[in-house]
Amino acid sequence: MNPRRVAAVARRIAEGFRRDRRSLALLVVAPLVIVALLGWVLRDQKSTVVDLAVVNEAGAIGSRITDALTTATANAPNGVSLVETDESEAVARDRIRNGQIDLALVLPSTLLSDVAAGHQPTLTVITAGTDPAAEGGAFASLQSVLGTVASTIAPPGSAPIIPKIEHQTVYLSPDADQVDVLAPVFLGLFAYFFVFILTGISFLRERVGGTLERLLATPVTRAEIVLGYAIGFSVFATLQVLILLGYVLGRIDVPTIGPVGAFTIGLGVQSAGNPAIAFLVALLMAVGAVNLGIYLSTFARTELQVLQFIPIVIVPQGLLGGIFWPIDRLPDILQAIAHVLPVTYAVDALREVMLKGGDLGSSAVQTDLLVLAGIAVLFVLLGAFTIKREVA
Amino acid sequence: MNARAAVGFEPAVEAIGLRKHFGPIHAVDGIDLAFTPGRIYGLLGPNGSGKTTLIRLLAGLARPSGGEARILGLTMPDRPTLGKVGYMPQAEALYPDLSVGENIGFFAALQGVRGSAAIDRSLDLVELGSRKGAPVLELSGGMRRRLSLAVTLVHEPPVLFLDEPTVGVDPALRVQFWGHFRKLADAGTTILVASHVMDEADRCDELVFVRAGRVIARGTGADLRSTAGTDNLETAFLRFAGLDDAGRPLDAGRGPDPEAAP
Ligand SMILES: Nc1ncnc2c1ncn2[C@@H]1O[C@H](COP(=O)(O)OP(=O)(O)O)[C@@H](O)[C@H]1O
Ligand SMILES: [Mg+2]
Repeated sequence: MNPRRVAAVARRIAEGFRRDRRSLALLVVAPLVIVALLGWVLRDQKSTVVDLAVVNEAGAIGSRITDALTTATANAPNGVSLVETDESEAVARDRIRNGQIDLALVLPSTLLSDVAAGHQPTLTVITAGTDPAAEGGAFASLQSVLGTVASTIAPPGSAPIIPKIEHQTVYLSPDADQVDVLAPVFLGLFAYFFVFILTGISFLRERVGGTLERLLATPVTRAEIVLGYAIGFSVFATLQVLILLGYVLGRIDVPTIGPVGAFTIGLGVQSAGNPAIAFLVALLMAVGAVNLGIYLSTFARTELQVLQFIPIVIVPQGLLGGIFWPIDRLPDILQAIAHVLPVTYAVDALREVMLKGGDLGSSAVQTDLLVLAGIAVLFVLLGAFTIKREVA
Repeated sequence: MNARAAVGFEPAVEAIGLRKHFGPIHAVDGIDLAFTPGRIYGLLGPNGSGKTTLIRLLAGLARPSGGEARILGLTMPDRPTLGKVGYMPQAEALYPDLSVGENIGFFAALQGVRGSAAIDRSLDLVELGSRKGAPVLELSGGMRRRLSLAVTLVHEPPVLFLDEPTVGVDPALRVQFWGHFRKLADAGTTILVASHVMDEADRCDELVFVRAGRVIARGTGADLRSTAGTDNLETAFLRFAGLDDAGRPLDAGRGPDPEAAP
């Protein structure tokens, strides 16, 4: 161990950083930006009021409960606000489907007879079922409101009757967990992420290694290069998405074999939708990512610098794209940013399709696909323009 | 002097007042050339004299800051014309993880070459026919140079730009290369070979000496030697560059007349 040689190696690294100021800056700035963004997103999330609708099938007693609920939720002290009464459960479900309300409370026609007979009555609470964490919170708030209501309507001197609550969902099932709702939407991000990195590095090598110059010394056109790249990478993005989709949706239970205990392969995620559309979304993302990779690779001199685009290009999309928390809860500025990120549209489309069973006829899916296609075209133009600039 | 009138042909390659500036660096600083079809031209000059930049301009890989480059009468950059050009870059410019056959097959496809006959012929010429399946990663530097040449020749272009083609190639194969270049030229191919060493200069029909982005002399090897009054091309170059035999600047005005008669 010769300290001079160790020092020489260490100095070489330091000199590399001195020449590569951008890496140095990124080393400091990137984590700050990410942590700051995360703090902003988590601290400044808009506190949302849960919009509740009551469906009264219980007649007079139901009206009394509804009135008590109206009083108890005035100014939404528990974060629950009674916004309407619907004439039937079907109407309430439609309102949830359209995003007009978050929760529906159904007071059943058997309510009075159950109470009279001394049974614990059962109320039904309906949620969308696409965001188990948030809905769990809303559900708990409603429960505490119902506790208050039960004690206000109980005759003086008698113990309040606490009803049983049955949870139903419009989409998926009430026992769906975070994995069921998160796994499908990750598809969009993965295709984007890997294709972007791989194209960025490939294209950088193409330029640094001189093969791009050799390419440009043939009659091949920019459009041909960009399209060829997109097709070439899309084949592998396809493979990736297919395997991932299979793993997310499928489930194989492997029995105990010898010393190996039983285990399962695949997540067996509940899904309502058509995987073909999910696939289309991932493919559009991949085409966009190929060209973004080509474009951004011109701003990198080394492979390390391509990887540095991860905290700039990928991480914010992961945080703001609506994967972990709904976009409408982000601070306004971040919402505006979220609306120009391709991942946002991919996540929305995947959620529509995989969780809500939307198909190509759904206007939400159509909008998302159109926007994604538009972004892909924009990036293709950027990519093609980039290659033109190579002839400087 | 009107080059066209002098040679009586439409030149295969033409530079007209060609310039390329990179900020303060005048890599190509006003060059006029006209190459007759079927001849081999040697572009000679030290490192950094602008040879590569000139070739890139001629091949339409860079936009001139001034002037014009023409190939077969068409102003470059012009994509379709590139089908008639073979460009061997100074850099390796091969895909290291692909095999010899895959590399040449790719560029052959871009040039519209069909079938494997042309590919095999080109590989045999550089004696790589038996290494078709080997990844470029496993080739020696000289072998890569040979593959690079094979890729450049595969579509049998009428105009060839070779940027230091024989660097790292052993002497026996070098002789073979030059034999082949001569055969191509006899069949009508116009060839420009850039080099910073003079030892291959006498295999060219005509030499162009460049220094600091300018042509300092041109003519046949014999003409240049006699004009400079020396038997040694290297010494001739130094004299045209206004340097003494050790490479030090001479007093102004003592260099020989740079317009050597062709
Ligand atoms: N892309 C570029 N950007 C800036 N300077 C360049 C570029 N390409 C070449 N040069 C400069 O132009 C001059 C000529 O370079 P080059 O044509 O490669 O010379 P040669 O091939 O004769 O060695 C050199 O000073 C080189 O540094
Ligand atoms: Mg050079």
